[in-house]
Amino acid sequence: MPDSDDEPHASDANTRDLTCTEVDCNDALRELEVFLDGELADHTRQAIHTHLDGCPHCLEAFDFHAELRTVIAAKCRKDDMPKGLLRKIELCFGNVERDDGVVGSP
Amino acid sequence: MQYAPQLYSAAMRLTRNTADAEDLVQDTYLRAWRSFNTFQEGTNLRAWLYRILTNSFINKYRAKQRRPDETGMDNIEDLYLYKRIGSLGSTLGDRSAEDTMLDMFTDDEVKDALEQLPENFRLAVLLADVEGFAYKEIAEILEIPVGTVMSRLHRGRKQMHKLLYDFASERGLISASVPTAETPSAPAGIPDDPISTTEAEHA
Repeated sequence: MPDSDDEPHASDANTRDLTCTEVDCNDALRELEVFLDGELADHTRQAIHTHLDGCPHCLEAFDFHAELRTVIAAKCRKDDMPKGLLRKIELCFGNVERDDGVVGSP
Repeated sequence: MQYAPQLYSAAMRLTRNTADAEDLVQDTYLRAWRSFNTFQEGTNLRAWLYRILTNSFINKYRAKQRRPDETGMDNIEDLYLYKRIGSLGSTLGDRSAEDTMLDMFTDDEVKDALEQLPENFRLAVLLADVEGFAYKEIAEILEIPVGTVMSRLHRGRKQMHKLLYDFASERGLISASVPTAETPSAPAGIPDDPISTTEAEHA
């Protein structure tokens, strides 16, 4: 990308006033992360959505990142909880006094 | 108790070993139980639990040395991974992009990539991309401003993508220096020259 590699991330995405006619590919790609995080202001999100509807290149980039996130989330959740951990947790509560004086299991 | 498996996975990504992860989860439940009277009904129980988990992690397990601010690999260009493997999906038959990506990286590689991130970045990426918390929730969990959350996410994700690329490249899935995906702003055929970036980072 020509000019955005060394710039600080545009954390003021929500204060920019992008309208449909203003969003070009650079704008869209710059907001990709925040868009996928669901954190863009409505009008900005809508403007980008409109751009994606008409731009297969950007759509492909957005799709790629969305898929990657799904894959990352799925793989990072695959852990076998050790047998007995749940039991150990439950046993902990048996003898613990809560701050408000209540003793025993939840 | 329903959150135990998720908390355990998160604990694994943070502590990187099963014994500490177990301890961390037990610690978390213990503290949660002890201070349950401070939890307000109707507020976000899950976020509250994760706050306890991350606080416990930071207090007990986090690297004790004060590192200089984790700059790590900071010259990674945006869309680093996408530019290099973005169109590989279409060359691998008519499987879905997700299937292709699921196969491209092993479970361990993805976990490793996250676990290799400096802790500040790892916490942010874990909470956002694995646990699905919003910026505001992450800000509260980590007690940092939203702007810092966004910055750590941006940098953490870039580093993670670079690590994923390195894994795929080591396994011979990609020829090292050829960008594959066209990005709209870069005319086709202009090389990104990833080699010099990589060398700088390994220095």
